Order: sequence, then C-alpha cells, then structure tokens
Amino acid sequence: MIEAIGEKTIESIVNTGRFARFMGRALNQSAVSILQPRCYSLIWTQMFTIGVRSVPVIMVTGAFVGMVLAVQAYDQLAGMGLEERLGVLINIAVVKELGPVLAAVMLAGRVGGALTAELGTMNVTEQIAAVQSMGTDPIKYLVSPRFLACLILTPFLIVYADLLGILGGYFVSVIQLDINSRAYWDFSAQGVALWDLSTGILKGFFFGGAIAMISCYKGFTCREGAQGVGEACTEAFVGSFITILALNFIFAVVMKAIYSTFWPVQSLL
Amino acid sequence: MAKQVNKDDGIIVVRNLVKTFNGREVLKNISLAFEKGKTTAIIGPSGCGKTVLMKHLIVLERPTSGEVYFKGQRVDELSERQLAPIRTQFGFCFQMGALFDSLTVYENIIFPIRQHQKIRNWRAIDELVKQKLAVVGMDGYQQHYPASLSGGQQKRVALARAIALNPEVILYDEPTTGLDPIRSDVINELILKLQRELKVTSIVVTHDMKSAYKIGDRIIMLHEGKVIADGDAGHIRNHPHSVVQQFIHGQVGEADLAALRLGGTRFTPQYNPEDFQ
Repeated sequence: MIEAIGEKTIESIVNTGRFARFMGRALNQSAVSILQPRCYSLIWTQMFTIGVRSVPVIMVTGAFVGMVLAVQAYDQLAGMGLEERLGVLINIAVVKELGPVLAAVMLAGRVGGALTAELGTMNVTEQIAAVQSMGTDPIKYLVSPRFLACLILTPFLIVYADLLGILGGYFVSVIQLDINSRAYWDFSAQGVALWDLSTGILKGFFFGGAIAMISCYKGFTCREGAQGVGEACTEAFVGSFITILALNFIFAVVMKAIYSTFWPVQSLL
Repeated sequence: MAKQVNKDDGIIVVRNLVKTFNGREVLKNISLAFEKGKTTAIIGPSGCGKTVLMKHLIVLERPTSGEVYFKGQRVDELSERQLAPIRTQFGFCFQMGALFDSLTVYENIIFPIRQHQKIRNWRAIDELVKQKLAVVGMDGYQQHYPASLSGGQQKRVALARAIALNPEVILYDEPTTGLDPIRSDVINELILKLQRELKVTSIVVTHDMKSAYKIGDRIIMLHEGKVIADGDAGHIRNHPHSVVQQFIHGQVGEADLAALRLGGTRFTPQYNPEDFQ
C-alpha cells in the first residue's frame, strides 16, 4: 500500500518534471519561430485549422449560452420587477466568465482532441522520430506552430463567443420575453465595463496556451496502439478542462486583486 | 566481456552501451565500431534490441550508460540543437516508412532539404525528386499521398527520402520486410550501388539472411541484447553458436518445439462456442 502510494507520487513528480521541460522547450522554440519568417507558413496553416474552422462551433456555443441565461434569469428578476436589468446579468456573465470558459472548453474538445490524436498517431508511426532523424526539432516543427496558433486565436474566438452570447441573450430577452430594447442596452452599458470585457478576452491567451501545451504533450508521450492514442486524447481533454477551470479561478482572484488595488472605490460599488 | 573499441576505430563507435527500459536491460554492454564506407548488417530475432541499437547511433534514444561517437566526437551527450547538423549527415529509413501522411510524396522527399536550406531553384528540386524516386522505381507518384500507397511503395518512398540529402551514413531498419522478392533485391542492389558509388556507410537491420549475405561486408548478430557473432558472411555461416545456426537456417528452437508439444493446444477446423462453455 505504502509502496504503491510512493510509486504513484514519484511517477507524478517525474511526469510533472517532464511536462515542465516540454513546456520550457516549446516556449523557447515558439519564441524562436516568431522571429523566423520561414516558420510563418506552418503557423498560418495551423491558424486556419485551429482558428477559422472553430468559428462556427464557438459561435453556436456562445449563442446558446446567452439564450439560456436569458431564459433562466428572467423569472428571478421579473419577480423583483428588475427584468429590464436582465441585460447586465447576461452580458456580464457572458463576457467575463461563460463566454471565455465555455469557448475554451469547446476548443479543448475540438482542437485539443484533434491535436493529441494527430501527434499521437505521428508518434506511434515514428513520424516524430523521422522529423528528429532529419535534424529538425520536432518541438519547433510540430508544437510551436500549434501552440502559437492556439495562443493567438483563442482570444479572437472568445470575441466570437461573446458576440453571439450577447446577441443570443438579446434575442430571447427583447424579442421573446418582450423587454424594452432601449432599457436592455442602457443597463447593459452601465453594468459592463471595458475591464470586464478585456479580462475575459485576456483569459483566452492562457486558455489557448494551456490547451495546446497539454494536448501536444499528451500526443508526444502517448503509448503505442489505437488504445494508447485514445487514452491520450481522453487525458488531454480532461487535463485541459481541469486546467481551464483552475486557471479561471486563479485569474479571477488575481484580476480582482488588481482591480481593487487600482480602482478601490469602484470595486466597492 | 565486450570487446574494447577506441572512439576513432570507425565512423560510428558505440562503447559499453547499456539501455534499460522499465528496469529491463535491452542492450547489455555493447561495444562496436562501424567502419566508414562499409555495409554492416545487424541480424537477430525480433525483440533482441536491433532497432534500439540503431536508434542510439543517431541519438534518437539516449543510452542508460555508455558512449556513442560519430567521427570521433561524442554525440550521446549533445543537445537536440547540437545534434541537428550531425543528423543531416545521416539518412534513416524507418521500418514502416514513417512518411508524413499529411504531405504528398513530393513534399515528403523535399522535407529534409526544405528544413535546412532555402529553396530557390524549384526546377532543380523537381529534377532531384524525380531522380531520387526513379532510383527506387517510384517516379510518377510525386502527387500521391502515403495513404494511397501500398506498404512496399511507402518503404521505397521512405528510402528515397532517406537519400535526399546525400548522407554519409544510411541506417536501414528492415528495408526489405514486406517487399516482394524482386523489389527486395532491387533495394539490396540500391544499397550496394550507394556504397560503391558514393562510399556511403550503411547499417542495415534485417531478418532477411539472403539480403544480409548479399549486402553485408560484415554481419553482426544480436541475441538478448548482446553481440553473439561478428564477422563476414563466411564467418557467420560457419559460426559454432547454435543460436546463430538456428537463426541463419530459420530453424525453430527446441524450446519453442517443446512449448508447441506440451502447450495443450488443440486446433479445431472451425470456431466452436462449446469449447468455451
């Protein structure tokens, strides 16, 4: 029993160390890739696959988030006669939390799963070893473009999720629940500050970076066979999902601290 | 006791090489020197560590202990970045081809060239690709994707990619496995041609004794992670070790026969669910 616990502990420390080394090398090679224009074509290709192709699914996610918030929150607010303030609640929830987090979770499933499966298959069919044997660093060739594409485009995808979330919320609130449009937008404008929007979008960099890093690492270290690739994909999604939630919590604490330091009065209101 | 070798005894030298995977020793204190311009065939039963040994020569695997030298320089301790210029002097033909399935045959072959230099003269590159593919009998397949090729065709394209940078050393991992006898002989002839004309050093991991005798200036046999025979074809043919004789004649060992006799295996012509009830 004690032996098993010790073994597991050592294994997780070793894995953490390996992941940290992988991340260090990937960050280093990504910085190098940014400075080398010949790497741009690889980054563009990944940006198309990771970013452009994710737009529809991210927009659908955002729209449903906004719509469901309107449906669920209306009764509570209407009970207090505050239904015209529904816009504040929907929009602040969408731009600050639900838009970024659910867009990132959707990306972890769509992009993270694909990255792990692709790199995992390359790993088990020795394609990664082939890249290495030809004097090319596989981290630079395979990980950096994917990492940079995720890092750059996740904030943009969050903007799409936010936009559709806001429109979805508006559609249900104003058209279906018959809330005054002018009041809806006025209260929203009062309640949602640029800070809320910016912090939501800023999270995208961290979420995107975490998804790419975890998914690529799992692909690079996946075990042989179809089962190995399958397990790696599952581990990548679960790992990315938990990391997104944990990062979101850390981000909320840090941003709140920053806000109350620089704007102590507003934070009390 | 492994034979002692000096780091300058060959173009590639491994000294006291030990490799352990999860506590299991796959290579046990191997010392070998590979002579420049010669073809060495490494033979041995499946799982004896042949491929692992070959991956150490290009540092795709790092030794648990021991040293690897290339042209007198110790390479097993170099960083990935320091290894890049050394690896460009190697060509590695992987067992299953390891072609990049998202790239066409043409893009696969120019991959190593593109990674190390800026291509300006595309016409010359087209010609080079054509020439490399013609060598392996695959000219005309430039725009095909690896998935649309048979296993043997993929292997030939992989060989064309391995020779794209005109390497000094080519490592072949079972180059003739899965090929028809004629195509196998073409590959053997190609290995000989590269050695004759370009003085390429070739190291070939193979099960195919016909191929090993034909191409190998030297044949090394590995068994359970150790070198048990090392010499030219004549030496191997007349080697006194029973495992060597069994392997080169393709004879099943007494232990395997005993397992078949005593294993209680009953073969029925058809699947019968009652057998498992």
